[in-house]
Amino acid sequence: MAGIKALVGLSFSGALGLTFLLLGCALEQFGVYWPLFVLIFYILSPLPHFIACRCGDDTDSSSNACRELALFLTTGIVISAFGLPIILARKAVIYWGACGLVMAGNAVIFLTILGFFLIFGGGDDFSWEQW
Amino acid sequence: MSGFLDGIRCGDCECNVDWGEKRNTIASIAAGVLFFTGWWIIIDAAIMYPREDQFHHAYHTCGVIATIAFLMINAVSNGQVRGDSYSEGCMGQTGARVWLFIGFMLAFGSLIASMWILFGGFVVASKETVYPGIAVFFQNAFIFFGGLVFKFGRTEDLWQ
Repeated sequence: MAGIKALVGLSFSGALGLTFLLLGCALEQFGVYWPLFVLIFYILSPLPHFIACRCGDDTDSSSNACRELALFLTTGIVISAFGLPIILARKAVIYWGACGLVMAGNAVIFLTILGFFLIFGGGDDFSWEQW
Repeated sequence: MSGFLDGIRCGDCECNVDWGEKRNTIASIAAGVLFFTGWWIIIDAAIMYPREDQFHHAYHTCGVIATIAFLMINAVSNGQVRGDSYSEGCMGQTGARVWLFIGFMLAFGSLIASMWILFGGFVVASKETVYPGIAVFFQNAFIFFGGLVFKFGRTEDLWQ
């Protein structure tokens, strides 16, 4: 168990990121809830990595095509989570201030997810029984 | 309270990062950034200029073909083309070479087509907004370079 402190820290940063996202939607001067669609990208982002881990490492070398494809798709999902608020703001569906808050929330949430993988998920001893 | 900064160490990070084995990770991430940035550029152009006379919708074909080319190029590994992989694959070494050849032709073709669209469809035709043409060009350029980085930026043999 890699530490209660890490878990609490990550959950705090997760809550902070979601707070930024919700502020970007719910503040009085904004009031538009379209940015909540980036939640889909948050949920999708760990999936390629999980699928690649399950499909298994065929060799024990580091060059694993499955893993690299998963990294490619995960990068795409992250880029999309930043692209959506920018496009909404350019079309004036949301204000640029809301866009900025959503992007800050994105950054914090993705760093949290990355932190989860680095602290809890990495290595060959990753097993589902850990939970 | 005194000495509470004593525990902080600066520059003590043992960053023995083996950049050799990080190369594949960096290449995958860079390729992902390039590829998806290309697609979001064209999504932006399509949203800002939704009318047919501003941005002829058939121009999207270019990016679609570029994406198919990306998938074709990266579907075969360098080992299959060289002929030294364990399994023969569907079509063997010759088939892999033909597949790669067609993939690269589509990739170069879509890059050239995007330049043609920009200059022929927007610059010469003197449209009032050239941005959709620039977006098509940059989309295809990014997808092309993303494909190159994903194909050649990764190494398949890490035991040298």
